[in-house]
Amino acid sequence: METHIIWWVGTSLLAVVLIRGAAVGNLRNYPLFYSYIGCVLLKEVVGLLSYQLAPHSYELIYWPTELATIVASYAVIVEIFRKSLRHNRGIARRAQKVLLAAFALTVSYTATALLNGRFATAYSAIAEVSRDLRYMEGALLLVMLWLLVRYRILLGPNLLGLIIGYSFWIGVNVVNFALLFLPGNEFSALPRRLVPITYVATLTIWCVALWSSQPEPAQPTEGAIERDYELLAAKTRSILARTSNRLVRVMKP
Amino acid sequence: MTVLVPISVLGTLIVVLAVRLFVQSGETRQRPAVTVDDYANAREALNSVFLETALINRIFSVEDAEFVARAATPDVACSFFNERKKFALQWFRKIRKEVARLMDLHLRLAGYTYDPSPMFELRLTAKYLSFMLASNIVLLLLWLLGPFKGTRCISYAIHTAGSFCTTFSLRLDQVNPARLLSGSDSWHTDRPV
Repeated sequence: METHIIWWVGTSLLAVVLIRGAAVGNLRNYPLFYSYIGCVLLKEVVGLLSYQLAPHSYELIYWPTELATIVASYAVIVEIFRKSLRHNRGIARRAQKVLLAAFALTVSYTATALLNGRFATAYSAIAEVSRDLRYMEGALLLVMLWLLVRYRILLGPNLLGLIIGYSFWIGVNVVNFALLFLPGNEFSALPRRLVPITYVATLTIWCVALWSSQPEPAQPTEGAIERDYELLAAKTRSILARTSNRLVRVMKP
Repeated sequence: MTVLVPISVLGTLIVVLAVRLFVQSGETRQRPAVTVDDYANAREALNSVFLETALINRIFSVEDAEFVARAATPDVACSFFNERKKFALQWFRKIRKEVARLMDLHLRLAGYTYDPSPMFELRLTAKYLSFMLASNIVLLLLWLLGPFKGTRCISYAIHTAGSFCTTFSLRLDQVNPARLLSGSDSWHTDRPV
């Protein structure tokens, strides 16, 4: 019963986020994020249908659909990267290199693991690849968050809500995967209870943050006469201070 | 179990940084992007640290202490030592505040640089951290022993402050001031609200 309630609440919130996104125009601003939401909604509906109509097939499709949504969730990282650093080209260039290197590392690691055939079954291969992709996603997100915090990057309310919800979801999910893959812990009660609650909490954050379209901070246009004057004044003040510094050094006994 | 610890740390760090970002965004909205005024203030603060660092060696001058100990009465000597100690403590606290402000400005300005260099960032951060560490030790020494003992540590801290400011000065030259907001601008938007 409890599982059903969480499922219904979660799916309803997903639908609300998607519908509100289309209604207020956020869908155009964050197309990759909403593609991910659409992907998760589709997965939930397919999961429910298979659970109701053919319970045996649910086990078979669970991990492949989970893998598909994890891969799709990388689009959210790209969206956060694109939107938050679009005015900070220097940092964006550096971050892009780090993200691409990390992504190449993940793909090569996964491909090597698959080619070496170190997995017992195809099912466990998908499960472990999903887990590793989630870990790498967590690492990428950590780098992004560190950059945003360190360089005090300005974020609009919509993007901030998106990042907070996503970080909460990935942060808890990463720990959950680690707990779930501990030997003998596959059916542990804690991770099984933690995930649905986090899921609903994340969707609530997104629902509230993306309810309306909020303006994003932007850079001003250049070339204002007033600013040119201020620049000139700043340079003059700097030269004066430097000159007085030299004067003091000369006067020192 | 060995995997669980780093992964748990990773997950926790993500949540902690997300909370930090949320809190910081609230503060940043009240005090938006770096303005030309901030840029000019950073230059002034920098020059003032350079200037004061050059002058402050006098406070810690051992010759003064020796002269007072030789020529003045015990009351005057005691008053002199107390004054110097108070002044040295005040100055060090002020310098710490200035350097912290410069570091904050650097981080806010860093987004506007043409070509950020990771090595430069690392060097600046290392210098900042070593100054903070040295200044903590110096404050303790000043408080315990006064301004005329532990001179090596004090001069090291002063040297680190100067070194940080030199590095910061190079960094400030890389900022593109044309991309900064003027002092009167505040929260800019892509579209009308």
